[in-house]
Parts: sequence; structure tokens; C-alpha cells
Amino acid sequence: MNCADWEERIALYAGSDLAPAKAAEVERHLAECAGCQMFAGWLKASLELLRDAHGEALDGAHFAAVRSRVVAQLARERRPLWRRAWVYGLAAVAAALLVAVAVRPSRWAAPRPPEVAMVRPPAAAVVPVAAARRLTRVRPKPRPKAGPGELVLVRLVTDNPDVVIYWISERRGE
Amino acid sequence: MDGPDDRSGATAAARSGDLAAFDQLMRRHERMVLVTALRLLGSLHDAQDASQEVFLKLYRNRAKVEASGNLPGWLYRVTVNACHDLRRRRPASVPMEEAGELPSRADDPAEQSAREERRRVLELSLRMLPEKERAALVLRDLEGLTTGEVARALGSSEATVRSQVSKARVKVREFVERYFRRHV
Repeated sequence: MNCADWEERIALYAGSDLAPAKAAEVERHLAECAGCQMFAGWLKASLELLRDAHGEALDGAHFAAVRSRVVAQLARERRPLWRRAWVYGLAAVAAALLVAVAVRPSRWAAPRPPEVAMVRPPAAAVVPVAAARRLTRVRPKPRPKAGPGELVLVRLVTDNPDVVIYWISERRGE
Repeated sequence: MDGPDDRSGATAAARSGDLAAFDQLMRRHERMVLVTALRLLGSLHDAQDASQEVFLKLYRNRAKVEASGNLPGWLYRVTVNACHDLRRRRPASVPMEEAGELPSRADDPAEQSAREERRRVLELSLRMLPEKERAALVLRDLEGLTTGEVARALGSSEATVRSQVSKARVKVREFVERYFRRHV
């Protein structure tokens, strides 16, 4: 076993982290090896320096600052809902939004209902007798059965003045 | 690791949720938490932030911590984790100049200056260590926990902690030796 293999054990030995049997092994090696003895001495010295460097007390104000920050945070979290300022702010914003929505005129307007007008159909034309005789040669097409009601012409006026819809329908039962 | 006073304090704070009782509990453990965080982070400002996180967690989990019956062990573990999280969030931390805020006991200016330099070098050497080795070294050599306690705080085995501690000690010695060889 060369000295590099002892390094880890010597480092543990320097901090008193070895079991007694292993510590005795290290001590036997140190008794024979001047290099490892020096290494162990440096390790112990640097550990002491490290402890000494960190042994200084911190100023009490640093602890007090942490404590006050923690207590302030906890006090904020424990405050009842109705005592938190942001609740009031949120309620005011919500109320303002509601008012704005209610007061503002809507851009969408409902379409005007169509105008409905009743127009009587034109009177049936009178056919002269001669012409009627001529017409008898031609087998007339069967005329559609007249409905029981009279015809109704409905005029639908749209938003566009150029578009007017006529709707002819039969009035029933009126 | 936990005395009866600690348990009764934690219990009082846990039962009542009383901020005054919790303040007393913080006073009992603040040195341990803030100093450990400072040693792990190397910046007082970051260490205070980490300590604040630790105590807020303690307050929120006080019933669970009380049940565990090991408040200092819990605090060390949570402090190490809080420092780890903070380091991830703030990789470029405030430099070591802040360590100068530590008051010195030395009266002689020359001695004080040498002492300051030694401390600065040793703290720098800590910061050169990988995070887990640094945590193991801080808890074992500076906080004086046993290997078993360090293992529990870090959530690893005793063998791992022993290996981390020995590597860290060797690295610190090498760093200090290199520094003084260059600068002296």
C-alpha cells in the first residue's frame, strides 16, 4: 500500500472519525512515514484554522432581522381576509367593471322586425268570347285547385332598401 | 440532539400557533440555522433569506416536526435543502467580501489582518468544494455533528458521508497550501 492509499484514512484520522482499530493502523503507518506524518499535521492544522475562522460570533442584529422578517410574513398570512387591503382593491375594480359594462351602449342592435303589409291580389282578367273559342282548341292545362282561402301577399321590407321580399300565401281559417 | 426545552417550545408554538411562542423557538435555534446557512452559502444576505425560508417551513410544518421529535435534525436537513435551492436560484452569489461583517476579536491590527486573510482563504476553500462535500464538512467539522447525524441530515449513508468528509478535508488543505505558496 503506497502513501496515496492512506490519504483518505489519514483525513478521517485527523478529524477523529476512525474506529480505534483503524486509528491504530494509521498511527503505525505515521510512525514509519515522515511524508504522511507531515500530511496529517497539515490536515489537523487546517481543520483547526477552519474551526477558528468560523468560531466568530455573528452580530445579533443579523438574527433579529431574520426573526422580524419571519414574524412579519406570518402575521401577513394570518391576517383575516376582510383586513387585507388587496381585497378592497379587488372589490373596487370588480364594481367599476360592472358599472362600465352596464352603462356602456352595446354596439350590437337587434334587427328591426320586418314590415308586413296585406295586399289584395289583382282581379282576374276577362277573356273575350272569340279568343275563348280559340282557346278551346287547345286542351287547357289542368288548373290547380283553388284553395279554400283567399290569397295574401306579404311584403317583407329588409334593412337594405333595394331588397324587398314578396311572399304570396293562402289565408286559411281567418 | 433535541432537549426537553426544545420539545416543549415546539409544542407550545405548535399547539397555540402563537407568534410570540414561535419567536422564542426561533431564538433558540437561530444561531444554528443562520450560521450553517452562512457557512454553506458564504453570503450573509443569502444566508438570511435561507434562514427565513427554514423558519417559515418550521411554522407551517410544526405539527409534523413535533411528531418527529428531532427538531435540530429537521432544521439541519431543511437548512441544507434551503441553501441548495437558493444556490440553484441564485448561482452567482454575493462575493466573500461580506464575510468582513463578522466582528473580529483580535485587537492588534497586524494580527487582525492575518486572521482576516486566513479566514478569507478558508472560506474560499469551502466555496471551492462541491456542494455535497461542503455540506458534509460544514456539518461534521464546523457544526460538530456525528457522522450518523450528518448522514441523516443529508439523506445519505454514513459511508458516503465519511468519504465526502475525508475528500473535503484533503481539498481544503490543498487549497490553503496552494494559496499560501502563491501569495506568501
